Amino acid sequence: MVRLASALLLVLLLAGWEVYCRVAGVSALVVPLPSAVLRTLWDGLAGGYLLPHLWVTTAEMAMGLAAGCTVGFLAGVLLAEVPVLRRLFYPYILASQVVPKLALGPLFIVWFGFGTTSTVVITALICFFPLLENTMTGLQQVDPNKRELFRMLRATRLQTLLRLKIPSGLPVILAGLRVAVVLALVGAVVGEFIGGRQGLGASIIAAQGMMDSTMMFALFIVITVLGMIVYQAAAGLERWLLRRPWKG
Amino acid sequence: MSFVSIEQAGYGVPSGGTILDRIDWTIGEGEFHALVGRSGCGKTTLLKLVAGLLAPSTGAVRIQGEPVRGPGAQVGFVFQAPTLLDWRTVLDNLLLPVSLKRRPQPADRRKAEELLDLVGLSGLEGRYPSQLSGGQQSRVALARALVTEPPLLLLDEPFAALDAITREELQDDLLKLCARHRTTVLFVTHDIAEAVYLADRVAVMEGGHLRHALPVPLARPRGRDVRYSPRFNALCLELRHAMDGADSGVALERAS
Ligand SMILES: Nc1ncnc2c1ncn2[C@@H]1O[C@H](COP(=O)(O)OP(=O)(O)OP(=O)(O)O)[C@@H](O)[C@H]1O
Ligand SMILES: [Mg+2]
Repeated sequence: MVRLASALLLVLLLAGWEVYCRVAGVSALVVPLPSAVLRTLWDGLAGGYLLPHLWVTTAEMAMGLAAGCTVGFLAGVLLAEVPVLRRLFYPYILASQVVPKLALGPLFIVWFGFGTTSTVVITALICFFPLLENTMTGLQQVDPNKRELFRMLRATRLQTLLRLKIPSGLPVILAGLRVAVVLALVGAVVGEFIGGRQGLGASIIAAQGMMDSTMMFALFIVITVLGMIVYQAAAGLERWLLRRPWKG
Repeated sequence: MSFVSIEQAGYGVPSGGTILDRIDWTIGEGEFHALVGRSGCGKTTLLKLVAGLLAPSTGAVRIQGEPVRGPGAQVGFVFQAPTLLDWRTVLDNLLLPVSLKRRPQPADRRKAEELLDLVGLSGLEGRYPSQLSGGQQSRVALARALVTEPPLLLLDEPFAALDAITREELQDDLLKLCARHRTTVLFVTHDIAEAVYLADRVAVMEGGHLRHALPVPLARPRGRDVRYSPRFNALCLELRHAMDGADSGVALERAS
């Protein structure tokens, strides 16, 4: 019922936009007509112009996400397990947290050249931190009683990690993954702004060069839908991994 | 020979507080001892010293003559809170002590199911802890400690969350099991009647000190009738007085 109302709201909003633009005669360069945007979107998808770009962005996002999350998770486990390393590295990790990662984009272009590699590296760097942070937090906030139980049962350190700390920290770790997924899309698109030849971000820059606002709006829609799909996928994975009836 | 001997054991925290002060106590092999005392008097701490989870700051704890240096394989511990793994089924929780050592065999599984039956939870092996009541969770925790048949069992108020009838049944089951395996037991409880019914000897703690030792000369096996006998009630009253009066006449009476 609420879903229906929510969809209706969108239709009303688009209709209002369309009517206002037509009546007030707003230039298509500033705000394009929704109908024109939808036509461009349809042509781009059906005509095959958008598909390669969509594919490139998706691939870059996936690679960056996989690399960043893997390294972030492993580093989180290491820092949570070895207090010396944590004390040694944590100030630097904190410092690098506040460095705007996107500002490093131009540097990566110098190092890795234009194209996929730079974008993947930026994306990975952005995904790294939420996983690191949440893995560390998740592994460290294990119920002390359960830790004592494992001590009493003389579990090895590896057993305690694999059978107590990771499962009990999993909700926190997966919340980090959900954040990383959204950031990965931002990373991939903005990475392409800076150094991409192909992809949705690069297409936005190209459309901007041609003053094609209609195309830019069409690309926004594609990016938004892509973001919603990956977010839902991550949320679904989370639900599946944490499936436990009557979770209390 | 004494199975457990606590020799002048003390425990303090860095912030300066003394939680346990020079405790002396011995438990003979196969004996069942109860530890009673008001909340916060240090019962859990003493139990953890015996388990090797905490190291005494003075004195020593010995099990079979060997000083305790850490959690040992021959000790089973039932914690005050059930501490089950929420992401594991009841059966997997029961088998945890086994599965940390080796892959559970069908025999282990049968044993776990037997124990589950014993604590009145048969048929619930596939459930998750969040699907159990508080009392059912503490029964799973009890069964988990029994699954490896440890020669020394330390229990921290395992029946506190149970109704009177279930508690009496479990008390009888525990006594039966411990008699069968000649298990040595130290059992912490708040409940005076429970202490008298279960134990050969009851230790009364107060503010980190062991104040009294009360032998319970009731014949075993103890049945339901024992609970309503005048002898039993007299012992309960005696224990009650011992808990009430730290330095009253009762203490001197018992000491003499
Ligand atoms: N880590 C700690 N630091 C400081 N004080 C502590 C610590 N652990 C326990 N205590 C104190 O030591 C005392 C004994 O605690 P303990 O848990 O042994 O009590 P208990 O007899 O088991 O009580 P209860 O019956 O409520 O479980 C308490 O007064 C408690 O406040
Ligand atoms: Mg306690």
